[in-house]
Amino acid sequence: MSYLTHSSRAEAFVLDHERTSWHDETLWFVRQKRDKAVYAVPEFQELRELASQIKNHTLSRLDYYLEKFEAAAQANGVRVHWAADAEEHNQIVLDIIRARGATRVVKSKSMLTEECHLNPYLIEQGIEVIDTDLGERIIQMRDEPPSHIVLPAIHLKKEDVGETFFQHLGTAKGLTDPQQLAEAARQHLRAKFLAGEVALTGVNFAIAETGSVVVCTNEGNADLGVSLAPVHVASMGIEKLIPRLSDLGVFTRLLARSATGQPVTTYTSHYTKPMPGREMHIIIVDNGRTKQLGRPDFRASLKCIRCGACMNTCPVYRRSGGHSYDFTVPGPIGSILSPNIDLKKHSTLPFASTLCGSCTDVCPVKIDIHTQLYKWRQIVSEANHLPTVKKVGLKFMGSLLASPTAFKISGSLGRRALRLLPHGLTHNKTVNAWAIARELPEPPKQSFREWFAQNQPESNA
Amino acid sequence: MSNSRERMLAAVRANKPDETELPTVPEFGGDAALARFATVLASIGGEVVQLTSLADLEAKVHELWPAAKLIASPLFPPTLAIDANTPTDVLADVDLAVLPGEIGVAENGAVWLPETNMLHRALPTVTQHLALVLDHRRLVATMHQAYAQLPEGPGGYGMFIAGPSKTADIEQSLVIGAHGARSLVVLVY
Amino acid sequence: MKVALFVPCYVDQFYPQVGIATFQLLEKLGVKAAFPPAQTCCGQPLANSGCEREALPIYRHFVETFQDYDYTIVPSGSCVYHVQKHFDKLEQTPAVQHVRATTIDLIDFITQVLEVKELPGAFPHKVGLHLSCHGQRGLHQANESEITPVRDGHLRRLLAGLDGIELTELNRNDECCGFGGTFCVSEAAISGRMGHDRVQDHLRNGTQVLTGGDMSCLMHLQGIVRRQNLPMKVMHAAEILNGMVV
Repeated sequence: MSYLTHSSRAEAFVLDHERTSWHDETLWFVRQKRDKAVYAVPEFQELRELASQIKNHTLSRLDYYLEKFEAAAQANGVRVHWAADAEEHNQIVLDIIRARGATRVVKSKSMLTEECHLNPYLIEQGIEVIDTDLGERIIQMRDEPPSHIVLPAIHLKKEDVGETFFQHLGTAKGLTDPQQLAEAARQHLRAKFLAGEVALTGVNFAIAETGSVVVCTNEGNADLGVSLAPVHVASMGIEKLIPRLSDLGVFTRLLARSATGQPVTTYTSHYTKPMPGREMHIIIVDNGRTKQLGRPDFRASLKCIRCGACMNTCPVYRRSGGHSYDFTVPGPIGSILSPNIDLKKHSTLPFASTLCGSCTDVCPVKIDIHTQLYKWRQIVSEANHLPTVKKVGLKFMGSLLASPTAFKISGSLGRRALRLLPHGLTHNKTVNAWAIARELPEPPKQSFREWFAQNQPESNA
Repeated sequence: MSNSRERMLAAVRANKPDETELPTVPEFGGDAALARFATVLASIGGEVVQLTSLADLEAKVHELWPAAKLIASPLFPPTLAIDANTPTDVLADVDLAVLPGEIGVAENGAVWLPETNMLHRALPTVTQHLALVLDHRRLVATMHQAYAQLPEGPGGYGMFIAGPSKTADIEQSLVIGAHGARSLVVLVY
Repeated sequence: MKVALFVPCYVDQFYPQVGIATFQLLEKLGVKAAFPPAQTCCGQPLANSGCEREALPIYRHFVETFQDYDYTIVPSGSCVYHVQKHFDKLEQTPAVQHVRATTIDLIDFITQVLEVKELPGAFPHKVGLHLSCHGQRGLHQANESEITPVRDGHLRRLLAGLDGIELTELNRNDECCGFGGTFCVSEAAISGRMGHDRVQDHLRNGTQVLTGGDMSCLMHLQGIVRRQNLPMKVMHAAEILNGMVV
């Protein structure tokens, strides 16, 4: 089976020069808002270190905290379920819905449910699933996946949204005013909230000490859904745990600032016990996470709090768009999570980077993202997933670069060829990808070593 | 189900790294002044209004929201009685909810609202407009200090609310009033 | 002090003037550098492409070539970063540890080892400083905008000391140029776009001379400048600090 590579999708994206500029500038602006928020907190770097250590510790005692969390949640009257994979997760959700005889489900943002492809599964079973986060609702109407984990519709312009709402909500054709479009969505979704039978949410943080799940939103859609429906199902990956309620002090100070530059999300909601007469369920999901936990070089990726800062800062992501990664979580963090799930399918993602390191700098929990990208490259190569042309070329390069004589000869041959061959041949865009956007350097008459040998004969070692 | 539980826990035990220490989070100080809280709240679309005393609350509410018909509150005689058993269609019509907040956080304009102060869990987000009443002596500088004031835990349900609901999902244009309350005022006494 | 020069392969072949400027600048500062002719490459192109294992012989050859010097100076933060960080894959013999610890970027050698604060000279032009990612984020040669708004760094200070120089304030102080080694061909479209945007940032803000500490970035940016026929010169900082007249 052949997969489209990141580079081919990226190439298509970047063809539209203006739209790429717009996408890039929009996300850079989010990065700038983050910077402003970060500069305003003198202890921000210390908070990052604390968050990193808290997460490292939690992963090192994850079994203990999982059991502690489960016991506390159960003591609160919450039903706790365990799902080894996406299929099991989806089945559990369906069973809970069926047990209520329900058909109307409202769902706030959960990348985990996106990862499990929950929506199509439920819809196939005749369940109505409404994504209530505005960005998610928009892409749900358009039948598209999200392109960013925090800003799912960031790839869309207001004209696109206006067209979608015209088709699905009956708003006026050509309406693009965000205020009016949001109002239309408010009315539409309000009806869904009021009629909801089961509310699905994700989990930003699961507190082992109290058995609580914490959800952070700006729209209030998680709370509206949960507080009006008789059943709440919260889906979480095993890595969402943190030990103590007080640890939230660190994480709530980092999350929104890193994600959007806000000091905090509008709502930071702590769900601990169901309302009397209602049900609350938590589904704890593995789906490849324990496998990543067992990889010493890559387990730190499980510290991720899904802020999206790495995407906003990544110069490649901004110019290629989230869809070019073809994974639930795109961008730098996605490129170190996805090879664990399917090395072959996602083999080009660790290479969709210049290893500039900006992602590592903005990560609130100090994941060494660019180092992990480098390390995944070695694994991809060893598993023989490098494209053949690249592989052969690199092996040849290896033998050349280990031999001083071969190196010297090939260098001078290369320069002579560049000087003598016609521009059209040396800069042929089909065979020389460098030449698509750039001129090759002017080949000098003498290499440095030739100059040195000539001018500094006594200094030769 | 228990099969998955056992398998998952076994996998965690087999794969987890060597134990590292849980750090002690230091006491980060900061400015807990009302002026700072008010400035930050204004920057996120909310507003601080000062009361001379709690006794002025009802009058102030009618002054600020003259058009509100269905007002829910545990702090003065409401026009609409709300409790945990109120049906959805009644909740849906609330114009204004005036609820007691417990802690104010100056660094981000957030107010802690526990379930015991909500009348019904849906009220803070289903209401069109929300007002939180806060004792100025309960202002703290940071989230660390706020959580330190919850030694009993967050209760059955509780939320930090920072400003009115909002979204920027339509081409990054900020719209105040997404699905939750369209506006938020913190009445400080 | 016994010092050697490591000249990256593409500098040796295509930008010898950078090697020459490096050598001459060090000489002016009282340091006569040797040039071990057996040198080849630091192995980064292979390692970054996933072929770290194939790069090990190159690493060993590098260590053999430079193990007897007190410092190995390189006019490239990128190669230095690779040696310091990724030669951990070799058995850590005393020679390996020594080479890793003493392979140093030219600007860092001048400012941190020789502790030179200012260099004499005039360069009355508007100069755009391009910070190479490996130098800035990898070797901490300059402040990162992800952490602080304060613009500062080793090379910035040396350049700022030249008479008549004006440093460009960019819209994006430290965005990657898009070269990324084999990235420039495997993701050619994005690479080209990133380079284009960097060059535009400089153009928009008045850069007359584009410079930096890494010829790999500059080679990529210069390629774009020349293709688009832009009125901008591109040169390595060693050339400017060595007293080049433009």
